[in-house]
Amino acid sequence: MAAPTRLLLRRVIRLSHRCNNVPAAGVSARSRCCWGPSTCRCFSDVAGDRSTHFGFETVPETEKAERVYKVFKNVAQKYDTMNDVMSLGIHRLWKDMLLHVMHPQPGAQLLDVAGGTGDISFRFLEYVHSQQERQKRRMARSVQTPSSQDISNNYSTEHEDTPQESRAVVCDINKEMLNVGRKRADSMGISAGLSWVVGNAEELPFDDDQFDIYTIAFGIRNVTHIDQALQEALRVLKPGGRFMCLEFSKVTNPVLARMYDTYSFQMIPVLGEVIAGDWKSYQYLVESIRKFPEQEEFKHMIEDAGFYCVKYHNFTGGVVALHSGFKL
Amino acid sequence: MFGRVFGRLLTETVRGPSGVKHAPLAQRAASARGVSDLKDEAQPPFDTSLLHFLVCPLSKKPLRYEANTNELINDELGIAYSISNGIPNMIPQEARLLQKDGDTSAPPTHQ
Repeated sequence: MAAPTRLLLRRVIRLSHRCNNVPAAGVSARSRCCWGPSTCRCFSDVAGDRSTHFGFETVPETEKAERVYKVFKNVAQKYDTMNDVMSLGIHRLWKDMLLHVMHPQPGAQLLDVAGGTGDISFRFLEYVHSQQERQKRRMARSVQTPSSQDISNNYSTEHEDTPQESRAVVCDINKEMLNVGRKRADSMGISAGLSWVVGNAEELPFDDDQFDIYTIAFGIRNVTHIDQALQEALRVLKPGGRFMCLEFSKVTNPVLARMYDTYSFQMIPVLGEVIAGDWKSYQYLVESIRKFPEQEEFKHMIEDAGFYCVKYHNFTGGVVALHSGFKL
Repeated sequence: MFGRVFGRLLTETVRGPSGVKHAPLAQRAASARGVSDLKDEAQPPFDTSLLHFLVCPLSKKPLRYEANTNELINDELGIAYSISNGIPNMIPQEARLLQKDGDTSAPPTHQ
């Protein structure tokens, strides 16, 4: 009993030594806007090898995808529980807000990239089904003096008239996350309109102009070449389609930023060790958040990829930002 | 605010999504059941309706479903994407090369 506690204590002390420098540097760097796109994504070209960041570490680009894969393979089983614990359940509200802003209509086709355990897709299907119910009720009410025969006719023709069923495709690079998601779907009884595909956001296995909505929630910061992922998003969306990205971002308020940094670096890896038995993966998580471009910069990246009307909403003081753009 | 969060947590865990399974998707269910008759092993069936929008990530061309080996074949490039647990694996590095004479080679080394 004493040994694991000692190990944990040693790790905490080591981490706090490391982190005493980091959050201060992070906050002051943000205020001075030192994180240019070049430092964020690519380091120097050494003998032709390009390197990138993996959290605060520098790794060859070819290695990043594999290391990210290992992180999510390790955390897959405890992923949903950890999300609840780390965000105190608030991640559910962020995802609900995404759906609220999305406001999908029945018949919409969703591609949920880095969809992992399926949170966004489940919410999407629930949302469109409740929209469908609401439309049926509205139709039934609009008939002035309905007889029971009329009402039953309305209900039966409704099914035939539906031009296309809503569909959600969950695409993730990691099989384990999809397996967990699939088990969740089975236990929740959701199967209709839901598909699972293992795929790379930088090289999507879908044809052009296929989807009405493309979402990537808390996944794009793990992609090695974000600009390629944005290009692919533009390709697979129908004209008029919407790109929506939910991701951790820069906290605007300095007091909140300090509290958030302390919580991130002191609490989250400890929780990761206690609950999921994996300190390093959650260390990567909080570091990768710091390396991701801030709201305005990411907005420019999305515009550069060819999206129009790019906007962002901040949630929880900028802890999370929802970026949205249209393919026109 | 936290009262609302806890309330939602409780209702979500207790209720779960209610009306989702009542979608009128008899066609899709029937096609899935038809495929499952072919291979009744522990694996859930592959939903062939996915082929409508699934393409090879390299060439973006349509794929052919091979029921015997449970793979999606791109004949043009000579590669096969495996399907496990009903979920197709569309990562190019994990695809299998098909030799021209019909023999299969070992899968290309990937991370």
